[in-house]
Amino acid sequence: MIKSWVKITDKSVTLNGQMMDFPSYGNALLTEIYRSKVKDYPKFFKMDALCKLGFLGSELVIQDENTNRFVPREDRAVILFNRSGSLNADVNFQATLQPDDFFPSPALFVYTLPNIITGEIAIRNKYLGETSFYVLEKKDSETIASQIVASFQDNITKSVIGGWVDCVDENNFEAVMFLCYRDEENKLHEEIKNILSK
Amino acid sequence: MDELILELKNEIIETLNLEDMQPDDIDTDAPLFGEGLGLDSIDALELIVLMEKNYGIKLRDASKGKEIFKSVRVMADYIEKNRTK
Repeated sequence: MIKSWVKITDKSVTLNGQMMDFPSYGNALLTEIYRSKVKDYPKFFKMDALCKLGFLGSELVIQDENTNRFVPREDRAVILFNRSGSLNADVNFQATLQPDDFFPSPALFVYTLPNIITGEIAIRNKYLGETSFYVLEKKDSETIASQIVASFQDNITKSVIGGWVDCVDENNFEAVMFLCYRDEENKLHEEIKNILSK
Repeated sequence: MDELILELKNEIIETLNLEDMQPDDIDTDAPLFGEGLGLDSIDALELIVLMEKNYGIKLRDASKGKEIFKSVRVMADYIEKNRTK
């Protein structure tokens, strides 16, 4: 069962199908969401755009859950997917490696792996369950739904923060993220596919 | 020296993405790591890069950083004595 879902693009934010009012665009939109909805995690400003996007997506769906947060738990996994990997951070890092201006940035290098997002979400929320990040050729809702549904077979995982988090650059990105629970009626697969198509 | 301290504070804010911070918010004599600005190990590496890029100071011995990054004043003092640009 999908408990809540969010869609963040460089132009708009939708939570459970309701448009949220943020007038900014692109990278400024991410900062505006943070200042409006999070506020207490200054590490946000050190993240690359991909990580900011995934972090904010997770914050919106977790806040919507409205339960006790920051209590260590093993029954929640974080499973994300995208197409562009960490390309945006890679390009920015490469720009610091020019032969005549060779000052590689350690802070940028930290984000040259997409799975840093899953780690940031897990650390922030004290999730001790599975964390995975898959890079796919395209936004394949069938593969994403199958992978997330399969993650419940370990008899530990009861819920998953999952979805699509893709960032081409600071002003061109899309996240469709959701919080879902194990579903005895096998409807979850179709629900995930439906959300990802929105 | 005061000019260098202000310049350094602005560079630290920009390099370490300390959004919402102004130079006046950084205590010149407060520790940069731990209780002060609460910087982490990645920030330390960024400061080492900053020293080389902006002032031509190559910190060969990373353990020296602990002494140099004690505060903005200590850092500025070290830069003034060792800068090559």
